[in-house]
Formats: sequence, C-alpha cells, structure tokens
Amino acid sequence: MADYDADATELLETYDFLMKYIIIGEAGTGKSCLLHQFTHNSFKDHSQHTIGVEFSSRTVKLGEKRIKLQLWDTAGQERFRSVTRSYYRGAAGAILVYDITNRQSFQNLSRWLADARALASPNLVVVLVGNKSDREDEREVEWAEASRWAAEHDVHFLETSSLTGDNVEAPFLLCARSILLSIESGSLDPDKAGSGVSYGDRALRRVNSSSRLSFGSLSGRRKKGTVKLRLKDYVPGTANSECC
Amino acid sequence: MTSSSPSTSPLVSRRAVFGSSSSPSPTHGRNPVSLRLYKVLGAGFEDEPTKEALRTLSELYGATSASGAKTTLVNGKTAKGETQVDSDTDDDDDTEEGASEEAKLSLGPFLSDEVTAPTGAAAHARKNLRRDIDVKLAGSSRKFLSALGQVDQKLDALQAYITTMRAQCDQAHTQLHTTNEACKSLLDQAGNLRQERDTVATQQTILNLFVSRFTLTSEEVIALTSRDVLPGKRFFAAMDKAVKIREDCRVLMSVDGPTKAGVDIIAATSSNLEQAYDKIFRYLTSEFQAIGRGNRDWERSVDPDANLEASPTLKEAVRRLRDRPELLSDALEVLSQTRQSTLLATFLDALTRGGPSGLPRPIELHAHDPLRYIGDMLAWLHQAIAAEREFMESLFELGRDGIGGRMIGSARKFEKGRMGEVEEWIGDMVDKNVGKLSGPLKLRVQQTLRSQESPILAYKVSNLLKFYELTMRRTIGEDAVLSEALREMSDVSDKVFFDAIEAQGRALLRLLLNLDDTALTPPAPIQEHMQMLRDILSVYESSRLDDSGRTEAEESGEDGKSKSPSEFGVERILDVMVDPALEVCLTAAEEKRRSRPSWDQAVFVLNSLTYLQGVLESYAFASTKRESLSAMIEDKVNQLVEEHYHDVLKDTGLDTVIIVLQAKDPGVPLSRLDAAQPHELSVALQKFSSWLSGLEVMHSPRLAQLTVQRLHSKIHQTALARLVKIYQRLCEEVRRPENRYEAASTLLGGQRPFGQIHLLKQIFGLGDEDE
Repeated sequence: MADYDADATELLETYDFLMKYIIIGEAGTGKSCLLHQFTHNSFKDHSQHTIGVEFSSRTVKLGEKRIKLQLWDTAGQERFRSVTRSYYRGAAGAILVYDITNRQSFQNLSRWLADARALASPNLVVVLVGNKSDREDEREVEWAEASRWAAEHDVHFLETSSLTGDNVEAPFLLCARSILLSIESGSLDPDKAGSGVSYGDRALRRVNSSSRLSFGSLSGRRKKGTVKLRLKDYVPGTANSECC
Repeated sequence: MTSSSPSTSPLVSRRAVFGSSSSPSPTHGRNPVSLRLYKVLGAGFEDEPTKEALRTLSELYGATSASGAKTTLVNGKTAKGETQVDSDTDDDDDTEEGASEEAKLSLGPFLSDEVTAPTGAAAHARKNLRRDIDVKLAGSSRKFLSALGQVDQKLDALQAYITTMRAQCDQAHTQLHTTNEACKSLLDQAGNLRQERDTVATQQTILNLFVSRFTLTSEEVIALTSRDVLPGKRFFAAMDKAVKIREDCRVLMSVDGPTKAGVDIIAATSSNLEQAYDKIFRYLTSEFQAIGRGNRDWERSVDPDANLEASPTLKEAVRRLRDRPELLSDALEVLSQTRQSTLLATFLDALTRGGPSGLPRPIELHAHDPLRYIGDMLAWLHQAIAAEREFMESLFELGRDGIGGRMIGSARKFEKGRMGEVEEWIGDMVDKNVGKLSGPLKLRVQQTLRSQESPILAYKVSNLLKFYELTMRRTIGEDAVLSEALREMSDVSDKVFFDAIEAQGRALLRLLLNLDDTALTPPAPIQEHMQMLRDILSVYESSRLDDSGRTEAEESGEDGKSKSPSEFGVERILDVMVDPALEVCLTAAEEKRRSRPSWDQAVFVLNSLTYLQGVLESYAFASTKRESLSAMIEDKVNQLVEEHYHDVLKDTGLDTVIIVLQAKDPGVPLSRLDAAQPHELSVALQKFSSWLSGLEVMHSPRLAQLTVQRLHSKIHQTALARLVKIYQRLCEEVRRPENRYEAASTLLGGQRPFGQIHLLKQIFGLGDEDE
C-alpha cells in the first residue's frame, strides 16, 4: 500500500521509460475491469462493453526504474476486431486476458495470440492472464492447463482477480520487466520509433551524464524463470496489502 | 622573695629618711613631689605610696651624695640632666607599683636602716629639694617648651600646607564645577545624540527590513533578468518575491494611498517581472523548439511519444507564464509548430517506413486493404493524440481523471475556473498539434475511397470514419481540425457509398428481363442486389449497436444527435437500394408481360415483393420500408385474389350464369334470361360438380408458382370463399319464386353440392363460421 501511494504522488514526476501496452481477449473476460483495478485501485461495477478502444495510463516503479505505461484497452467483441487490430502496431506489451470461468474464452486464445504475433512488433511481450480468480467455484480452466498452454506458446502466465484486486499489478510489472530485459539485451531499441518503448526524461538525463545505460538491479537476472518467481513472491504481498 | 629582700632594703631605708626630712615644708605645696610627700607624711609612712615617694627621693639623692660635685653640674647642664631625671621619674613610677608589695613585707628593718643612713645626703636634700625639683621641673618644662615649639613650628608649616592645599582644592573644586557645568550640556547633547542614533538605528533596521522585503537583491535581479541564469529554483524564488512585493505594496498603498516609494517599487518590480516573463518566454521558446525535435544531446529518431515529457522546470515555467497569456500563447505557438512538424514526420514515417527494421510494417503496405489501411492510420492518430494530450496535461500539470486527478482533486475544485482555462489551452494545443496530420490523412482516405468500387467496403469505411469521428469528438472536441476533417471524410465516404449504390440502382433499372425466362422467381440481378443490401444492413446493424452501446454510456442529449442521422442514413440506404428493385419488378415485368402475355406477371411481382420483404425481415430498423412493402403486397394479393376468383369461376363453368345474375334487371325473372335457362343452368351446375371433384379445388397450379406458400393458400381460400358466396346467392336466386324456376330444388339438388352451402364449404375446407 505504501508503495502504491508513493507511486501515486510521484505520478507527475519524470519517468525512465514509456511503454505501450495493449489489453486483448474475448468480450466479457474483464479486461476493462482489470485495467480499472490497476489504474484506479478499485473495482469497476456495472462495466459496459468497451466501445472500440479506450486509453489510460499509469506510472509504475520497477526496482530503480520508473516506467510510464500507456494502456490501450480494446473491445473484445468480434465486430470491433477490425478497429482493435490497428492498435497492435507499436505496442511493446500485450496483456492477453481470458476468463477462468469461461472455457470458450480460453479456447479462443490462439486466435488472439496469432493476431498479436502477426500485427505487433516481433519483440512483443505477451502475458497471459486468467481473470476472475475469485470465482474458484465456477472455474472451467485449470491453472495447470493454462500454464502449459502459456509455456507452449512462450508467454508469461498469471491468474488475477479484478474484483478483489488480487495479483492485478503483477502482469503489468512482469511485462515491463521482460521489456526492460530485452532492452538490456539489445534486442529492443527504445530510440527507434514504433518499438512501443521510449526513454523518458529521467533516463535521458542519466544517459547524458553517463554514456552507457545500465540497469542496475536487473543485471544478472537474465533467466525468465527467476524473474517470474521473484515477481510472484513479491506481488501477491503488495496486492494483499492493497486490499486492506 | 625572701632572697631578694636584702638587696632592696637599702633603698627602702633611704626613702624613709627622705620622706621624713621633707615632711615639714608646706611652702612648696604645689610641687608635685612635695605634694606627694605631704600626702605621704600626712598619711603616715607605712603606706605604699609614701614608701615609694621616699624611695624615689632617696634614689635621687643617693646618687647626688655619691658625687656632690656632679649634682651641681647636673643642675647647670639642664639639657642633659633633665632627660636623666625624666627617665628617673619614669622609673620611679614604674617601681612604685612594682615593688609596693615588697615594701609592705619588710617595712620594719628598712625603717631602721633609714635612721642609720648618712645624714649628709638627707640634709642636702632637705635644703635643696625644692630648688632641685624646680630646676628639674623648669628644665623639663623648657624641654617641653622647646619640643612643643618645634611641634608648633611644624604645625604652622602644616597649617600653611593645608591652607595652600585648601586653596588649591577650592580652585580644583571650582574648576570641577565649571567643568561639570560645561559637561552637562555635552552630556545632554551626547544623550540626545545617542537617542538619535538609536532612532536612526531602528529606522535603519526598519528600512533594511523594508528594503529586503520590498526590493530585490542584486542577485535576485540578476536571476530574473540575466540571460546567463537559466530559469530554475533561484529564478522562480526571485519571481515569487517580486510578485509578493507587488502584492504587499498594493496592500500598503491601498491603506496609505499611493506613495512615491510604493509607486517606485511597483514600477521597479514590474519591470523586473516583465523581464522575468520575457525570460521565461525565451526559455520556453527554446525548450519547445527542442522538444520533440529530438535534438537534445544526441541524434534521436523521432517517435510521436518519445520523450514527450515535461520537466518540472518546464511545467513551472508554463504555470507562471499563464499570467501572461499572450506570451504563453506565442510560446505555445512555437511548441505547436515543432510538434506539428514532428508529428507529421513521424506519421509519414509510420506510413512509409514502419517500425524499427521495418517492423511493424509500414501502414501503406496494407493500402490494398482499405479498411485496414484507413483503420491503421486512424488508430495511429488516436494513439498520437492520447500521447499528445498526456504531454499537454503534464505540461500544464493537469491531473487526469484517475490517480493523478484524485491526488489533486481538492486543489482542482478550488481552481475550477483556472482549470477550465487550462483545459482550453490543452484542447487548443492538441487540436493544433495533430491538426496538420489531417492533410495527409484526408488525401489518403480520399484516394482509397475514390478507388473503391464495392459499396459495402465504402460503407464499412464510412462507418469506420464515423466511429473515429465520434471518438475524436470525445477526445479533441467537435470543432477540432481533425474532427472537422474526419467529418468531411466521412461525408465523402458517404457520398462515395451512396453514389455507388445509386449507380447500382440505376444499372438495375436498365435491366431488361429475359423474355425467354419463364421463371416467376425474382431474377438473379435483383437477388444479387438484395444480397448487397443485406450485407450493408448487417454492417449497419453492428454500427448501430455501437450507437446504442454508446448512448448508454453517454448522456441522453448526445443520443438524439448521434442516432437520428444514422437512422436517416439507413432509411436513405433502403430507399436507394429497394426502390430500384421494386421498380424493376413492376415496370420491367409490365413490359415483359406485354411482349409475352403467357408469362404470369402478377405472380412474379408478388414473388419479388415478398422476396424483398423477406430480405428486410430480420432488421428491426427497416420496419418503415417493410410496412410500405407489406401494403404493396396486400394490394397485389387482393388483385390476385380477384383474378384468381374469376379464373376459378371460369373453371367451374358458373361464370356465365353468375355474370347474368349480377347484371340482371331485378324486374326480369332469372329463368327468362338465356344463360340462366333451367337447362343451361343444369349444365353449368353439372360442370361445377365435376370441377368440385377435381384437384384444383384444393390446389391451384397457378398459385403454386408463388414462393410464399402462405400467400398461395390465402389467395386460394379467399377466392373459394367468394365462390361459396356467389354460389349461395345463385341458390337463393334460383329458389326465389320471382325467378320462376320450376322444381328449383330438383334443379339445384341434382348435382353436387346439391344446393347445400355447408357441404360446399366442407369440400373447400372452409369453416362454417366464416358466415
């Protein structure tokens, strides 16, 4: 909670990186609610279907880095597909959401992922999110199954609840971390237009003073697995406290 | 004590002798020694003082008798003798007291000794005592005198000194007094001066405070005006101070009225402030030129949202320059210029070059897919606008409705008016910055539209443009350049679409039906045409859902605005699409009928109309069109019923009789008319009877051509019902005596349905209740 507050008060301050995310998945899986929980820290009641694409943003802190996230929340309904498809372009990260109480939404994931891979930049980091984890009784998609699917398709996986706010920050942070790692490894260049990532003023100043970027705490933790584990250890704690 | 007594005894005896000898000399009563002696004598010799006096006396003379010559000498030499005697007498006094007790103890033997003392000395003493004493006394007195004289002299000298001193003291005193007098004024002056100094010091402190409060230090002035000091903490602090000074000054002047100092201060600070504002302006101008141009410290490729972030100093500068709107708007003009060119360059980059190393691919790569092409461009714009808006909001320190907004919610309410003004700035800027993009966008969209042949695609594009028009209206406002451009584009696309469907309608009208085609179903071109309508309507339906979804979310005021044009649009589409098809059905069929009478036009028209109606069936919004079609169908159905009835009547053979019946003069009996003669009637009834046994009673081959089975039975039934009615009338007429039929019942009852209406109804499958 304390961390969150600190973030909020520093919102207007500078950031190191700016990343564009796109939130995708079938209609009614709770994409907008997830985003609302992430940006407003509260559950969005009586949420309507999203019309086309909606925008919001939030700055998060990852280690020493402050990262501004530009979040594009897309409509899941089929009829908006032609509109939403245009928003993959220039996204650095995609949050792919399904509903654990709705098998159909899980079965359609491949189609969404294919879209994302085809339309977005090749460095797109995808995080699979099984939403509505608070409704364990109605679960139709097992964690293990989704996890296997994620591993097969080389995406990260988490379960969240946008109702309780449980684990809601994790996918966004996980995604940011992966993107930072690809920047560090040189496969992603924030200086290039259309990469979905760019330097903020803060990073610029740092770069000006020392010619080479360094990622401090991130160095030496190249393995995705470790990152994932660490995040998982870390994030539920914050999420829990946020509930109180 | 006893041991000492022998040594002192001579003395005591001598004194006793001396005392006894001096007792009879009363003339020298004033001599102290004699006085003493007398006293001693008078009191007896045994008391201590007497003994002492005697002892003294004897000592005096004891020495004299031992050397008589010396005694005289002693008398002559006064000065010497006196001192000796003095010391002697002193000794006497001492011994008198010291030895008084000893004398007491050994009085007896001493007295006896005295008696035996040499008489020479005693006699001498008796003779000369007085003189001796006097001499001694005089000598002593002289000594006293001379001594006192000396003392006197000394005292005189002292007196003289003292007098002198006194005089001098007096003088000094006078002088002191004078000095004092003189000093007093000085002191007063000094006191006054000190007071004055204090006052001045206080004034100085006040003045210093005043100066420090009401003037800027040279450092501050430098900070404000120098070109070398970049705006920063120091600069802003100095500005704050200048502003505060002006405020304070105004407050003071409003109380005391305008003072010179006040006016001066205000003048000075205002000039400083103006310079400061100028400086901010210059700073902002240069910063704004740098922003987005990517020429910070190294070469950077341009990205619409790269580095779109306002530093705190920049924000502060903007906030301050808001007090000088004209300067701010000039500075923002610069920013807008750079942003415009940057955005334009990035847009063109995204169009032609794509992302890093060509991924994601350039937007123009998909120019062959108009929907994707235009959609991608609009999405890019949408994203650019969001970034632009965020940048502007951060520049103006406006929290978004969200976390930022929540954080400064209270402050925001307070500055409501100000926020509105800021909103205006932001809106203006975003509008201007992205406004230039509408040029290339418009160009491409129009090109794409112009090359479109498919009305459906044009319609889809038009819907996409409308969707974004709505989105932009919500994001950048209705009057924004881009909104305007989108509106224009959507109008163009509408026009392209309607042109296309109108052209298609016209083409349909030119269509001539194939004369050799005997089919009564709608021809393929119409079916194709209607399929397109169906496609268009489904596109419309999904876009209409947009609207309803939106209106739920938005205010109802927006509702009417956005919905009615789209409904108007669909009506127009229906008119444009359906009317030509209708016309084709009616007029072309008419022509075909003329050249090919055997062709069943009525059935064809009805089939076509019901087909059109069927197409519209599933769309609730097409109800108006459908209703007008229904009316038309109803019309055609009635027409067909009439025709069919006559056909059936003809088939039954009753037609001639009926015609006669209907046309007859009421005065003339029916049986008298040719066609209704009993014989003729009987033949007709027989024919009717045989018709009744045929298939056509249940099923009309002509009506079977109708695609809608329901219409077939409906028309047939209606015609049969009329047949029943007319048969009934015939029966009634035949039975009427006025018509003069003999054996009317036999005539009717000879053949089926034997004049029984209910039987006929049964055969026709009509309910009795129809009556």
